[in-house]
Amino acid sequence: MSIRLNLAAVIGSAVLLLIILELVRRKYLRERYALIWIVTGGLFLLLSIRVQLLLRISSFLGFSVASNALFFFGILFLLLIVLGVSVITSRLAEKNKTLTQEVVLLKKRIEDLENYGRQR
Amino acid sequence: MKILTIIPAFNEEETLRGVILGIRTFLAHADILVVNDGSTDKTANIAREEGVFVLEHPYNMGIGATMQTGFLYALRSGYDIAIQVDGDGQHNPESLPSLIKPLLIGQADLVIGSRYLSDGGFKSTLPRKLGIKFFTWLVWIFTGKRVTDPTSGFRAIGRKGLELFSEEYPPDYPEVEALISASRKGLLFLEIPTTMRGRQGGSSSIGILSALYYMVKVTLSISIGSFRGIK
Repeated sequence: MSIRLNLAAVIGSAVLLLIILELVRRKYLRERYALIWIVTGGLFLLLSIRVQLLLRISSFLGFSVASNALFFFGILFLLLIVLGVSVITSRLAEKNKTLTQEVVLLKKRIEDLENYGRQR
Repeated sequence: MKILTIIPAFNEEETLRGVILGIRTFLAHADILVVNDGSTDKTANIAREEGVFVLEHPYNMGIGATMQTGFLYALRSGYDIAIQVDGDGQHNPESLPSLIKPLLIGQADLVIGSRYLSDGGFKSTLPRKLGIKFFTWLVWIFTGKRVTDPTSGFRAIGRKGLELFSEEYPPDYPEVEALISASRKGLLFLEIPTTMRGRQGGSSSIGILSALYYMVKVTLSISIGSFRGIK
């Protein structure tokens, strides 16, 4: 890998990590969900600083080219993240439904109480 | 016995009045609740004019959530029986007394009005018949019971059903799944013959693609659900 490419990779992952930390600082990203992103950003940074590490992992696993290993794990990771987001969305949808139903029932109860009050 | 008729309604301004009138005629002692599922037409106004109970979803949440809202209301207001009558006018109100009778005499916990139990002359398309056959088979596989019209929304449930369905009711295409969860909980169900009219107005919520989705979704949901423990 050329020194220029390497430098770009280091800067790129450092920026990613900074963006993630800033999002958490501004509370745009909950710590709970930020953790996995911080680990990812850190891993990117580590791999771009110590390219040797990536080369060793990929040859250990038998990838013919190191970048294939990177793509493979990258895509695998993204799949897992998206799956996680689907799970979170489903849970939110369920909670949202329950919440809305409670509001609907409360509204009806308030209406009934108001009508009762007016009749007295 | 306190009885509540729940009418789930999404844009049913053309037919709602007729449905309410039908219930008042054939089941005069039942209360009527319209759950307006975010209609954009005059459904809510009509319901209020008719002086029935009205619950309003702030946005469209689907038939499952709509019925569940109704069940929650029924449970918390102390009703013993809840009946679902669709707002499109296809359910025949003349069958209401026979729909609740098995509940009143303790013969069943859930009663389904079936189009296919007698030859009521319901004209159905071939794809729909096949679809329903498939669900009949599915219900038989998972419960060992024969139900001729498992997708029928014309139903009545007692207290046990109310408790179960207020807790958990599938958000979309709930009819078939609800039968299976009811059976797993040990609820007894029973069909009575009824006739259904074609839609009085509006349009069916089920097209070809959604029919396919219906079958796949329900099958998946039931299959995976059968690995869940019974709470």
